[in-house]
Amino acid sequence: MVYFPIDIDCIEYSSDELESLTNPLFSRPHLQVDEQEFFLRVYNVASYRVRNGNQVDIHPYKDADVSSVNLFLNGSVLGAILHQQCLLPFHGSSFEYKGKGIIICGHSGTGKSSVTAAFCQNGGRFINDDITPVRNSASATTIIPIKTRIKLWDDSLCKLKIENDNFDKIRPALDKFYLPTQETFRAEQHLDHIFVLCKHQTNEFVANELSGMEKYNILRNQIYRKVYLKGMPETGKLYFKQLLQLAGNIKVTKILRPQICDIYDTMNCIKKDLDK
Amino acid sequence: MNKNIVWLVSYPKSGNTWFRMFLANYMKNTQHPVSLDEIESTPISSDPICFEELTGLNPFELTPDEVDLFRPEVYQVISQETENTGKINYKKTHDAYTLNNNGVPLFPEGISRCAIYFIRNPLDVCVSYAKHSAVKMEKMVYLLLNDDSHLAGNKTGQLRQKVLSWKNHIKSWHEQTLIPIHIVRYEDMQQNTIKTFGSIVNFLELEFNEARLERAIVNSDFKLLQKMEKEKGFKEKPQISKNFFRKGKIGNYREYLSEEQIQRIVEYNYDTMKEFEYIDEQGKLTV
Repeated sequence: MVYFPIDIDCIEYSSDELESLTNPLFSRPHLQVDEQEFFLRVYNVASYRVRNGNQVDIHPYKDADVSSVNLFLNGSVLGAILHQQCLLPFHGSSFEYKGKGIIICGHSGTGKSSVTAAFCQNGGRFINDDITPVRNSASATTIIPIKTRIKLWDDSLCKLKIENDNFDKIRPALDKFYLPTQETFRAEQHLDHIFVLCKHQTNEFVANELSGMEKYNILRNQIYRKVYLKGMPETGKLYFKQLLQLAGNIKVTKILRPQICDIYDTMNCIKKDLDK
Repeated sequence: MNKNIVWLVSYPKSGNTWFRMFLANYMKNTQHPVSLDEIESTPISSDPICFEELTGLNPFELTPDEVDLFRPEVYQVISQETENTGKINYKKTHDAYTLNNNGVPLFPEGISRCAIYFIRNPLDVCVSYAKHSAVKMEKMVYLLLNDDSHLAGNKTGQLRQKVLSWKNHIKSWHEQTLIPIHIVRYEDMQQNTIKTFGSIVNFLELEFNEARLERAIVNSDFKLLQKMEKEKGFKEKPQISKNFFRKGKIGNYREYLSEEQIQRIVEYNYDTMKEFEYIDEQGKLTV
């Protein structure tokens, strides 16, 4: 059984390079995927192998630091574990706000974590950062807490007026930090609304609630590490059904924000939409 | 392996986007101009979203040097995914031709059909790029004269692109021998339009048709692009700059650069400027 976040200290390192998969359904030089087998090589850091959603092997490369090995373990590798367990993971950060379960999705660099942190300064309760798995039934969808920590760049900390009190760096070479653990959710939270954050070239904020195929397609595009599904066709089929159910259970709003803008302005745009 | 990627290479603000709009028009071959959104048919090679989707890794949690270790693979995948369609992938890039820390070229020979290199007078590049980025002229002079120069590669935005100095950017592409290259001057695109664009069509081995060529040139006219941007905006315009298609004027540098700045740029780039006829036999600036 794998507990989240994955505790790197509980995994024994392999001193030999891990074997890549034999005849995987999906293969790239650094990445191989089958329905229940996964191999990832992060150059200069480590190679990782995951089996059946619960067995993780790691071979760190020479001079790799533990925090870097841990970062990809609780990122791209965690994504593979969730896919193998069929826990539909979204590329998004999540929190509870005024009783509603919310996920902020978007590509890396769109500000998911910063906006989540801003909400948590204003009455929100943090659930997950960057990756949010969900569980579906015909009538409801719930967010599964995986107890990850919010990762913020130094300038975002500054903009959010959070004093960097020797926070842990996510990697020695990057000025991105883990926010110390806040009170975190242990129970599953009902999911009400997904916001998809995108950037555009103008100075305005635009919020559009989606429906029909547009809603389904945008949800599908928010699946974390969607590329893995090329080697997991059965999981892909299962997700198709789950996404259809999900689309019927929740609201989805696309937020277009200026390339350069205030974190709190983005939060207020989302708040305004939630208050409608 | 299929050689199905064409690299559209330039230092920034050297006519690359103008050509991409010409190409979009030439390929569509319609009577009316295609919209500025068609620029997406020739995406930039430093797009972080494409990188993350193809590698399964967040590029902002890798160092720029680590990202470069994956980039040749990314382009191989793009090539592979379109291998059976017969499609040619046109990719814009501002990167100099460099090797990553594994000694592998960022742009692999095995999938590269050819490269078109757009060169422009560095004095005009300096002004146009400073206006585009809303930075002071002196900062741009420094970029053009510095071999460590790079674009982006920060916490968000595009992947890091090593552009080197202006002269070493062109040198890096000109001296590599693995990818066939066709060099065109921005000034010739403006002053000798049909011949210059026609030479590119021929080099790319696209079906040549004079009426189609002329129509694509008219439909991607600089003034028309300016008008379209004014009416509907342009996705590639940075929020901080007023417009993407600014002036495109030859010799505009005289209004903005000091004599001292001109001298520094010319001195540093003298041989290359002479080779590409920005300086004549008597050592005088031609523009």
